[in-house]
Amino acid sequence: MLELANIGRRYRVDGAEVTALADVTLDFPPGSFTTVVGRSGCGKTTLLRVLAGLETPSEGEIRRSEDGPPRIGVVFQEARLMPWLDVRGNVGFGLRGRLPQATIEQRCADTLALVGLADFARAMPSQLSGGMAQRVAIARALVLEPQLLLLDEPFAALDAFTRRSMQNELVAIWQRRSPTIVFVTHDVEEAVLLGERVLEMQSGRVVGHETLDLPHPRDPTAPEANLHRRRILARLMQAPSSAPAGPA
Amino acid sequence: MPRPITIAVFAAAIGLWWLASHSGWVSAFLLPSPTTVAETTGELLASGELLRHSLVSLRRVALGYVLAIALAVPLALLFVLSRPLRAALEPLLEFLRQIPPLALMPLLMLWLGIGETQKIGIIILSCFFPIFLGVRGGFAAVDRKLIDVGTVCGFSRAEMMLRIVLPSALPAIVVGLRVGLGYSWRALVGAELIASSAGLGYMIVDAENLARTDIVLAGILVIGGLGLLADHLLRFAIRRAAPWLAGDLEMARA
Repeated sequence: MLELANIGRRYRVDGAEVTALADVTLDFPPGSFTTVVGRSGCGKTTLLRVLAGLETPSEGEIRRSEDGPPRIGVVFQEARLMPWLDVRGNVGFGLRGRLPQATIEQRCADTLALVGLADFARAMPSQLSGGMAQRVAIARALVLEPQLLLLDEPFAALDAFTRRSMQNELVAIWQRRSPTIVFVTHDVEEAVLLGERVLEMQSGRVVGHETLDLPHPRDPTAPEANLHRRRILARLMQAPSSAPAGPA
Repeated sequence: MPRPITIAVFAAAIGLWWLASHSGWVSAFLLPSPTTVAETTGELLASGELLRHSLVSLRRVALGYVLAIALAVPLALLFVLSRPLRAALEPLLEFLRQIPPLALMPLLMLWLGIGETQKIGIIILSCFFPIFLGVRGGFAAVDRKLIDVGTVCGFSRAEMMLRIVLPSALPAIVVGLRVGLGYSWRALVGAELIASSAGLGYMIVDAENLARTDIVLAGILVIGGLGLLADHLLRFAIRRAAPWLAGDLEMARA
């Protein structure tokens, strides 16, 4: 179990204090799939960075029930590949030195096949399109076989077709390996398509949530899905949109 | 291999030179023809004089360049690691950077004499800053977003340094090294022109005193050729060691 208790995060920007997260209390049961939606600057990326251990909360507590540090895979908005490593080197980046080389090779090859880039193992990042680079970044997170998989608008840069197949692939991986997933997006349709639970964020706070009891694969145009979408959108549109806080 | 256009441009330049000296546009004393210069170069090679002067110059550059690297790289790393040191020494270094090393020649001659120490001192002074700034800039410009990737992977400080920071800093370091090499070669010839008894710069000045413009030109061509060769060797080494830097290398022309 992963729990956040009264988490707050404040920044100083040019002497002014900006609140990116305020009083966030959440739990993420093992194997759960949570999506987080909200406008740019609502604090959803900061929430993800706190979960990833990239930011220390200004107040509150993170509690993990597992022993030892959890295996965390993170996919950022941009691919963030190492330009000096080829695709294989980038996918195996977090494993190198921690597993036998042969195991890493095998896992990287399998994961590259999974994201449809088996033929590009030797390519350099500068040779990849934006969508391909992002798929390499996704492979880099998946290859760790993470217990906690954190994704920050990972499919935003992909074309609609690739996005759809990556979304299906993500659900398949979740069903097969059941990592705990937290998926940040500004796209309500995507949030409803993927999550078991959708959290709505506004001005650094979690202002609402929606539990989705729909089987996968989901049809985003099905009446039940549309009902959820309409409810989430209505709440997000109606709440005050002032005070964008923190980086998007 | 050089491209055909490169060869053509060089051939055209030499042709123009030949035409200028043979047609009598320019006096053969002021601009000896390419054939004369080629003959003179042949003689200088045969007598061993050219080789001797070249080796003296090359040895000075090699020593000065290596010593400059040995000074600039650790100092730059200290600057990267220590903010107080940076704050204290930065203004002084910025001031020193503005002074052309050749302007320090008179002082260096008083302090270090006119022997090898002074020549190598000039070289160190002239290539220190490009290398120092390259290393500093490279480390300063490391992308925070790549550091995040290392943090998520649970990297130790050493892993972060070796696997993210250093490779990220490498392009700027390489640019500094390449610019520094060019500077050192130029400063050397300057130093040799002023006070010395051997080296390519000395050979030129000595020939000038004897009114041998053909030797002056031969010396100039060898200087250009050796500089080009050194630059190509450095680029070759970098391309072998870090193929992904090929694009960054082109920025380093200075």
